[in-house]
Amino acid sequence: MAPNPVPDHVPPEMVRDFSLFTSPGMLPTPNGDPHAAVACVHEGPPIFYSPYNTRDGQGTWVITRAKDQRRVLQDAETFSSHRSIFASALGENWPMIPLELDPPAHGVFRSLLSPLLSPKRVLVLEPAVRERAIALIKRIVASGRSCDVMKDFAVPFTVSIFLSFLGLPDHRLDTFVAWGKDLLHGDDEKRQVAARTIVAFIDELAAVRRKEPADDFMTFVVQAKVEGRPLTHEQVRGVGVLLFVAGADTVAAALGFDLAYLARNLKEQEWLRSEPDRIAPAAEELLRAYPTVQIIRVAKKDIDFEGAPIRKGDYVSCATMIANRDPTEFERPNTIDLARQENRHAAFGYGPHRCLGSHLARREIVIGLEEWLSRIPAFRIKESTAPIAHGGHLFGIENLILDWS
Amino acid sequence: MRIIVHTAKCQGHARCWAQAPGIFKLDDEGSILPGDIEVAEAEQLLASRAARSCPERALEVDHAPAAQVELDAVQPTARQV
Repeated sequence: MAPNPVPDHVPPEMVRDFSLFTSPGMLPTPNGDPHAAVACVHEGPPIFYSPYNTRDGQGTWVITRAKDQRRVLQDAETFSSHRSIFASALGENWPMIPLELDPPAHGVFRSLLSPLLSPKRVLVLEPAVRERAIALIKRIVASGRSCDVMKDFAVPFTVSIFLSFLGLPDHRLDTFVAWGKDLLHGDDEKRQVAARTIVAFIDELAAVRRKEPADDFMTFVVQAKVEGRPLTHEQVRGVGVLLFVAGADTVAAALGFDLAYLARNLKEQEWLRSEPDRIAPAAEELLRAYPTVQIIRVAKKDIDFEGAPIRKGDYVSCATMIANRDPTEFERPNTIDLARQENRHAAFGYGPHRCLGSHLARREIVIGLEEWLSRIPAFRIKESTAPIAHGGHLFGIENLILDWS
Repeated sequence: MRIIVHTAKCQGHARCWAQAPGIFKLDDEGSILPGDIEVAEAEQLLASRAARSCPERALEVDHAPAAQVELDAVQPTARQV
């Protein structure tokens, strides 16, 4: 796809040949390290313009420093999150909720949903999460001394947790995984078919839960009231679709990157295995080193930002993987130090749209690593295989074959 | 020592609570309860470490001596609301 022309208001000297989609190391690469590859932007200016930096080839400003990303993401008045990313794939315009709502509408929905994913609520969900991890790992142990981590563990683990949260049975897991894959990583046609399928599915699930309430998330949403009124069909859909999209890929990818790192660093692996209390802080360092999401905002008004003339309508990219390698924020940012203490990383974003699922995601990652390390002996990347890592709007890893024979 | 809580900046990351649940209390949504926090001497190290873990910079450590703290409480000047 040809890049869009650079807008006239962007000074040519602020344009850089960098993109999370096309730069070296961003395309699927055997034994690739896309996170390390993006760290090169810190040799350049704190803000620049990338002519091709979204999935559909739009240009964005790129904010490299963590402190500037904080400023953008904390200021929802200036930098809007209303993009209708999902709906636009269908030629429609409705927000995923609460992600694509701006304050003040955002706050009402956020308050409605926050208690369902609060740190205390996650403590209640934890035993089921652990049970799920143990069941999958036991099956892997019983079937041999090697496995495809994404297919056999990370994806079924994270997706089944999200399914039970939504109130759906496990036996449809493969169907949902396939939809998610087409939606996030398919071509335009596949993406559109998947989007329509997911919308129809969420609409139908909402209709069923209106008639037959259950003890699950969707029932909560269809019964909820905001400012005294039940949610509209479009609002219910916006909430349901966001949950689907957010739960589909991110945590699995994080677990994949973490296990790939440990498979390549046997000393660190044993350091964690021998002292499981080290896993929770280590998981924070791995979230810093291997976050998965690029966050994009739209300028609602003209603003001069650190010397850059951002104009109304411009896209502004706050890539978590870039903030997390900022040398002005982190000492030795490109060194992975599992015992790192000061670690205010940006993996879940900043500001009012801080990842609503972050507490559940964190526990899934920590529990996944705890159970994996306690049940699987020293593991490595299987000889003559190479995990394939990629950049893009969601960083990911595939073909991660681990071996402990 | 006192922790100044900038409630409006809290976005519910709950990193303070994860490190020191006895010092930093959350509401049902997972945001910090409003009001500054007086920290006992034995807990100062833990509390300041937890305060420094806030990604939003919503927690500020105030080492001012007690007399100063009392004066501030009577005449709140630079407090953010």
